Amino acid sequence: MNDTAYAAERQPDPEEEQVLAVIETEIPALPRDEHQLIPSLQGIQNRHGYLPRGGLVMVARHFGLPASKVYGVATFYNQFRFNPPGRHPIKVCLGTACHVRGGDIVLENFERKLGIVEGETTADREFSLERVACVGCCALAPVVLVGEKVEAHVTPSKVEGVVTQVEIENEMAVRAAEREEQCHGKTD
Amino acid sequence: MRNKVTMTVDGLEISVPAGTTVLDACLDNGIYIPNLCHLDGMEHPPASCRLCLVEVDGMRGPVTSCTLAAVDGMVVHTNTDEVRELQKLAFRMLVSCNQGNCRVCMANKRCDLQQIAKFLHLPLRTKQMRHIPKDVPEVLTDHPCIVYEPNKCVLCGRCVYVCERRGNPFSLSFANRGFNTIVTFFGSEAEGVEDACRDCRACVDICPVGALSFADERERHLRLVEAGKGRRKAG
Amino acid sequence: MARPTELLASLAAPARNEWGKIRQPERPLITVGNATCGRAAGSGDTIAGFREALAEKGIGADIRTVGCMGHCYAEPLVTIHYPGFPPLLYQKIGAGEARVLVNSFLVAGEDPCFEYLIGALEPNDTFPTLMDYPRYLYEKRLIMEHCGVIEPGSIDQYLAVGGYRALARALEQGGERVVEEITAAKLRGRGGAGFPAGIKWEIARNAAGTPKTVICNGDEGDPGAYMDRTLMESNPHQVLEGLAIAALAIGAERALLYIRAEYPLAVEMVEKAITDAGERGLLGKNILDSGFDLEVEVFKGSGAFVCGEETALIQSLEGKRGMPQHRPPYPAVVGLDGNPTVINNVKTLSTVPLIINHGSDWFRGIGTEDTPGTAIFSVVGEVEYPGLVEVPMGTTLRHLIDEICGGIAGGREFKAVQIGGPSGGCLPASELDTPIDFDSLRRAGAMMGSGGMVVMNDSACMVEVSRYFIDFTQKESCGKCTFCRIGTRHLLDILTDLTKGRATEEDLDELKELSAGIIKGSLCSLGKTAPNPVLTTMRFFMDEYLAHVRERRCPACMCRELTAYYIDLEACARGCDACVACCPTEAIFTTSNRKKAIDQEKCVKCGECVYACPPEYDAVRKVSPPYLVPDQGVVPLGKDEATEGGEDDA
Repeated sequence: MNDTAYAAERQPDPEEEQVLAVIETEIPALPRDEHQLIPSLQGIQNRHGYLPRGGLVMVARHFGLPASKVYGVATFYNQFRFNPPGRHPIKVCLGTACHVRGGDIVLENFERKLGIVEGETTADREFSLERVACVGCCALAPVVLVGEKVEAHVTPSKVEGVVTQVEIENEMAVRAAEREEQCHGKTD
Repeated sequence: MRNKVTMTVDGLEISVPAGTTVLDACLDNGIYIPNLCHLDGMEHPPASCRLCLVEVDGMRGPVTSCTLAAVDGMVVHTNTDEVRELQKLAFRMLVSCNQGNCRVCMANKRCDLQQIAKFLHLPLRTKQMRHIPKDVPEVLTDHPCIVYEPNKCVLCGRCVYVCERRGNPFSLSFANRGFNTIVTFFGSEAEGVEDACRDCRACVDICPVGALSFADERERHLRLVEAGKGRRKAG
Repeated sequence: MARPTELLASLAAPARNEWGKIRQPERPLITVGNATCGRAAGSGDTIAGFREALAEKGIGADIRTVGCMGHCYAEPLVTIHYPGFPPLLYQKIGAGEARVLVNSFLVAGEDPCFEYLIGALEPNDTFPTLMDYPRYLYEKRLIMEHCGVIEPGSIDQYLAVGGYRALARALEQGGERVVEEITAAKLRGRGGAGFPAGIKWEIARNAAGTPKTVICNGDEGDPGAYMDRTLMESNPHQVLEGLAIAALAIGAERALLYIRAEYPLAVEMVEKAITDAGERGLLGKNILDSGFDLEVEVFKGSGAFVCGEETALIQSLEGKRGMPQHRPPYPAVVGLDGNPTVINNVKTLSTVPLIINHGSDWFRGIGTEDTPGTAIFSVVGEVEYPGLVEVPMGTTLRHLIDEICGGIAGGREFKAVQIGGPSGGCLPASELDTPIDFDSLRRAGAMMGSGGMVVMNDSACMVEVSRYFIDFTQKESCGKCTFCRIGTRHLLDILTDLTKGRATEEDLDELKELSAGIIKGSLCSLGKTAPNPVLTTMRFFMDEYLAHVRERRCPACMCRELTAYYIDLEACARGCDACVACCPTEAIFTTSNRKKAIDQEKCVKCGECVYACPPEYDAVRKVSPPYLVPDQGVVPLGKDEATEGGEDDA
């Protein structure tokens, strides 16, 4: 339950302020029928990656519901998260087949490698780590989702590779951007 | 005039208005059945505490009496071995994740758990079962003036029910899921909540175990208990 | 006014024509299984590989993507229709294999690449057909007949294979007749409980209150079961047709499909199917000019296993926390928004069109007397051919596991099969002759559940397996009622202690007592069935529990706290570094005689080194309890002055 926002005293977060400003503009277009509450929350999370506390309050006001009710609904379902996800969300499948093949050790290795526990996001917001019940690729167990990509047969020793792969891609992107800048610098 | 139905409870014949639940029928006739989540006049009883079990002739296994309408000729047993076993197990479960320091608790001597413990002849601290506290903070203070102690709470839901019934626009709700379910005041930072809640008091007053309390009253109570302890020590 | 069947016939005729051309193509046709599991196995790369290779060779061929056949072990699956050949099914076709197929087969139709071939889809003189394999021969594909064959996004292909004929017929017969037929067919709900669908429909049909609703329950939450997803992804129209017939039967005006949000492809396929069917007048207003209206929508479930329970599902649809409610009243009488609501599983609804088409007598002829029809299982774990299997009810577990799924993989020993997901039970070898049907499985202590089946070999620890399932149900408990909320947490605590060697024999009694109480006292079926894995493993594998308690030993060497790894210096090869490279915690070091040893303090017991160690050495040993690690007098390299070469540190 690392993800539930107990910490009432949270630091104001400029990134979150921005997200909230956007959510505020989206609210009027939402329906007001309580049946549409969960789809509305899903929509917000799809667009922003998570449900900020302030966003829940706005949704509640729009639907004419107590904020606590909306919070209660959101914290009931596995899908909703209240912290921003990493740019590379890692989801470790712990369905039966994956578990039998060592999915929990894979998760532990990710925790060790990234220095966070399941449900958290790294300080640089690069990675977040989650467990998922079953992604339905049981014949490929153990399975890890990196972003939308399914990594099949992820043995514990492959964990390092998965993380390094992302880091290398980032590094390449940075370098490419630098080169681009240099080129532009020359042409200017 | 409503029709009356006559039923037999533990060999005793009682008559109640049709539509009464078996639980209410028994309570109204001085037959105690342990219960936590039930409140008078609930349209859809949550049946969540699982304490008010009874056995009924012709029905398989113990059933919750709060969800059972009294029917003419019904034969109810409130104290069979199986009923008592299950009630004791449920009670032990409830106190196994409860803080149980009655001496400093504001609900001391008027707590439903104490009453049920006495009724079932059980201690308030179970030795048979492990003590497993919930994985949540001990005290939650997200309300401007009401304090919530998750490890005292038995999640009966009475507070949620009464608050909703009063139509409070900032009512409280259950949050999280499973073992770590709590009651939340999320969003109660809003203007006017403090005064309204002080006037209403419904949730604090209805709580059967003292898990909800006004912060200042709790503070005062704890000071008094502390002082009392000091006096006893001195004496 | 044309009759619905006539209208449908006029819709289906051109579709059938088109389908005939697809099946007898003039130029090569490649179909690639592209459902979730195919995609995970890399079907995207396969398709790209085919495109590239075809373009290079300048070959004109069509590529179509179909759903899933359920042969997960063989993904990505590819079928090639080459003029002059029967359609040929190939397994494990990645981009590289795709290139080989193009270069060897598609270029001139010479070498059909037997090395990748499973078999031909049709009888012929040259190629083995699928029916030559037990896996295909013993399966009875009724519900899944068209899965992986037709394109799920094409309503025409579904029409061509006889789709929506049952709906047209039902519209002519009327709802009452449909309920009679389904009741006569003795169709039992495939969601797990096995309640007769016809009776449920009849109750809802006779109940007062409008609008009535039918809901397709696609909130498949069982970790390890994915047949509902496959049906929705691979043949969504069949589900919709069943749903529309159910709506007609009970007099509902609206229908919902509750699909897990984690199944984006299923949502996409079903939504497309709804739109397409609406455009053809098969859903929406005045269906097939019969005057029957039905609005169909998709609701995405947000991930709560308990929402598979009917009353919780309804709460969730109403925008609330998905907490089960006391029954009665049953949803068929008081359901969504207080009105009669029928909730049927995806498999149940997919079966409905078949019954309407072929009649209840035909249906009752399949399976057993009390449970007619077929069962779909997702068989995963240690079998040779994991995947989705559809068999007639009454098939024995032994037949399913040994014949159809190829038995235990890697020549190991069968130990147990876990049936019915987290609410099911674990059955040992002695129960393998149990026939698969609702009542037999329940008697054996397991249950049909949603149809998840995990086969385990001798490396699985039954205590750990039951801990895993309780961990799941405990996390997914809604938290409403005392027994389930707190009871499952206690079960988990004790089981966790058992796997760590910290439990006592009193704890075993406590497990039994708690389990019995949870079953009797819980509010909904999640709680009432949660202890099943504990009770069945205790019943059949008590010796393992006792070993964990009395000897602090895990007989299967699976519980990590009770197990240790060491390297047999006799078997270890000097100079080999395979295990060192794979160890995630750098626990393996080089010994003074340049062999390898494990630092027990650092070892996390992941078992990687077992797989990394070359089979010709096979030097890593596993023991339980850990104190059995022999003292081999290991000295790390460099720590021993007498050793030469002590200067380089491993």
